[in-house]
Amino acid sequence: MSAYLLTEGVQVHYLPTTQYKTIQIMVRFTSLLKKDTITKRTLLSSLLETNSLHYPNQLLLSEKLADLYGASFGVDINKKGNYHLLTLSVNLVNGNYLENQPAVFEEAVDFIHEILFFPYIEKNAFHSATFDREKENLLDYLASVNEDKQLYAALKLQEILFSESPAQKTPSFGTIEDLQKETASSIGAYYQEMLLKDQVDIFVIGDIVPENINKLLQKLKFQPRAPLLNEIFYPSKTGNVIFEKVEEQPIVQSKLNLGYHTNIYFYQKDYFPFLVFNGIFGGFPHSKLFTNVREKQSMAYYASSSIDTFRGVMTVQTGIDGKNREKVLRLVAEQLQAIQTGEITKDELQQTKAMLKNQYLLSMDNPNAQLEKKYVEVVYPDSKISLETWCKRIDEVSEKQVQDIAAQVQLAAVYFLEGGEA
Amino acid sequence: MEKKEYAKLHETLYQETLPNGLQVTLLPKNDFHKIYGLFTTNYGSIDNEFVPLGANEFVHVPDGVAHFLEHKMFEKETVDVFQIFGKQGASANAFTSFTRTSYLFSSTNHVNENLQTLLDFVQQPYFTEATVTKEKGIIAQEIQMYQDDPNWRLFFGILGNLYPQHPLSIDIAGTVESINQITAQDLYTCYHTFYHPSNMNLFVVGDISPMQIMELISNNQASKSFAPYQEIRRRFSGDTRKIRTKSQISMEINRPKTLVGIKGADTLPERGIDLLRYQIAANLLFQMLFGNTSRNYLRLYDQGLLDDSFGYEFNLDREFHFADFGGDTSDPDRLAGELIDILLSAEKSSEITERNLELLKKKMIGKHLQALNSLEYIANQFSQMQFGSVTLFDRMEIIENIQLSDCLSVAKQLIHSEAISRFTLLPNIKE
Repeated sequence: MSAYLLTEGVQVHYLPTTQYKTIQIMVRFTSLLKKDTITKRTLLSSLLETNSLHYPNQLLLSEKLADLYGASFGVDINKKGNYHLLTLSVNLVNGNYLENQPAVFEEAVDFIHEILFFPYIEKNAFHSATFDREKENLLDYLASVNEDKQLYAALKLQEILFSESPAQKTPSFGTIEDLQKETASSIGAYYQEMLLKDQVDIFVIGDIVPENINKLLQKLKFQPRAPLLNEIFYPSKTGNVIFEKVEEQPIVQSKLNLGYHTNIYFYQKDYFPFLVFNGIFGGFPHSKLFTNVREKQSMAYYASSSIDTFRGVMTVQTGIDGKNREKVLRLVAEQLQAIQTGEITKDELQQTKAMLKNQYLLSMDNPNAQLEKKYVEVVYPDSKISLETWCKRIDEVSEKQVQDIAAQVQLAAVYFLEGGEA
Repeated sequence: MEKKEYAKLHETLYQETLPNGLQVTLLPKNDFHKIYGLFTTNYGSIDNEFVPLGANEFVHVPDGVAHFLEHKMFEKETVDVFQIFGKQGASANAFTSFTRTSYLFSSTNHVNENLQTLLDFVQQPYFTEATVTKEKGIIAQEIQMYQDDPNWRLFFGILGNLYPQHPLSIDIAGTVESINQITAQDLYTCYHTFYHPSNMNLFVVGDISPMQIMELISNNQASKSFAPYQEIRRRFSGDTRKIRTKSQISMEINRPKTLVGIKGADTLPERGIDLLRYQIAANLLFQMLFGNTSRNYLRLYDQGLLDDSFGYEFNLDREFHFADFGGDTSDPDRLAGELIDILLSAEKSSEITERNLELLKKKMIGKHLQALNSLEYIANQFSQMQFGSVTLFDRMEIIENIQLSDCLSVAKQLIHSEAISRFTLLPNIKE
């Protein structure tokens, strides 16, 4: 058994394996990504993580987790294409490794039940002191994002790359402006909405027997709801204009980030050639960006590319000396040009394919990566292919296909964070 | 080859010290796809004054050499090591700490080739003045990038207070000035002294067959010749007992950050097992005092003096041990004052109870088992070789045996007002 329907719109997925000494449980709420709920969900995730009706302060909650043999617990926010994800995760020791084999899993399910169904809400509003403090903490966090300059530059690039979509250009964790509007009752109301309407998927990975767990999970009394039918992909709007933005800040190292439209989506046409292309261009330490821009020219401290195949974009991020901006821009364009004209050695192609396969296999040793992979298989079943097929698809990619991808990606946005005197 | 079974954990270790002194440890994990090899020298950023191999006099090398050397190991006369690993489907990396330099690969196939490559590239140095000069720009960029990272500045701020005349207070990568003085000859001097197999260990974990891998390693090492073993002599010439009790700087941040530090001045136990007991007891002590199950934490959190960024750590390593506590805060003076009060009255604290200790031991055992999911974590822990023959897999039993008296004696030994310092990062004043 690998899946079990708890009720309509709420499904359990099992990943039995002997690899780990832990059992990880993930409960994911999926809704459509909307500008006006991104920040609500972020604040809600902090509130759910902080306390609950029967563990009304953090001390009691932390004691409960310590007593569950130091179970790790978190509620996170993320986005994937058109979807916004609120995820509760609990990672706990498999009781078999402990003295007298205590029923850790059963207790963990009770704990999840408490967190999801008994938040610290009184008269439809979150406990006011908790709410005020968590709102304050989130405000501080949002204000501190610009201290991490690499993240800041990536978010700024996203803002100009997706300028047409209020939801897509917003960071997955929301904005200060939206946060200021929220109250203990507005989030209380949103909690009800999410609990009743979001698609819910529960994942369990570890050395488990699914049949024994089904019954335990029935304790989670979800109401039936309609599964989410919207497509996960957000097709980015292509055009001929290149948006540019320059900002200056008193930092030592400047950041130059570029955004491209690719029109290539997860497990759709050109997906495998695109993976190989990105590996040659900037995805690995042997890639052209790293070896030519950083190593040979000493022009950057870091230079790499990454892809988002749920939104059809690719980004390049570099940390450079501010005076080299034009030179680095030219060098990045040259690397792309080189791939387009077939300056790809046999070694580069073979090495990239080997690295991609390696990366794929490595992800199978990581419970979080395995859970994420399972989730995408649930929301996009076409991605469910065997390991052998996956490797075969990579092996089949030709040099010509990689060249074509290089010709197809289109520069759409440039963000430059210029360092002044520190 | 020695075989050690850990029945409770379902793990089996294979260990051997080769004739050239290299210590090899293998851990088969056959339900994993990955193989992770970690080749480590007991040499890090603080080892800047020592007697070179074959010499009699102490020399002082520029700060940042260990890290510089790590960078340059990957460049050879005709090939780039990353590319060799890449062709063999592996990714490679390296890192330098205060006391160790480690080189690693991780892969899912070609284990023999990758392991040979790892051993060979680390054991065949190639440094020239030209390649050394070229690297300076890249490393200077790296140093500058860390200068923009507030948490890095905060950590080195407190270290600078605790160890003003000790290399611990200097960025692991050195300074832009110090790395500019580095020559190819410096790299060779450090290399020959510290990369002798008797100063190194190799750990391989993952989908491997231990007999076959041990044979491969042992043949590879037997085919190479090394200078005779010589004990490494290191020293610190500054007054390492000096301490600065307080300092602050300002930079481009939104919220102030503060750290309180304790410099370990007590004499540590010599036997590995006792040292590990000390380390675990210290961690449990600080968890009782400041952890998220303590009333102290809740009170300071409710007063808005600390938030989720609050953290504490106890570092125990060759030649030093220290603890630091702190994070973002609205009122650095008040938070530091509170933390210092709690530390100085630790022995009388109402947090230090049997109940709390039992709870936190449960937590620590659980966290320990969770960490064992990660082959990287296992390898990194083993490569530290801090506790003699006592290993990571013995930890659980030691945790179970810790008593309240162990924690109290650490408090008594370690915490003294003259060993405490504080460092604060303030936001730049906006005009």
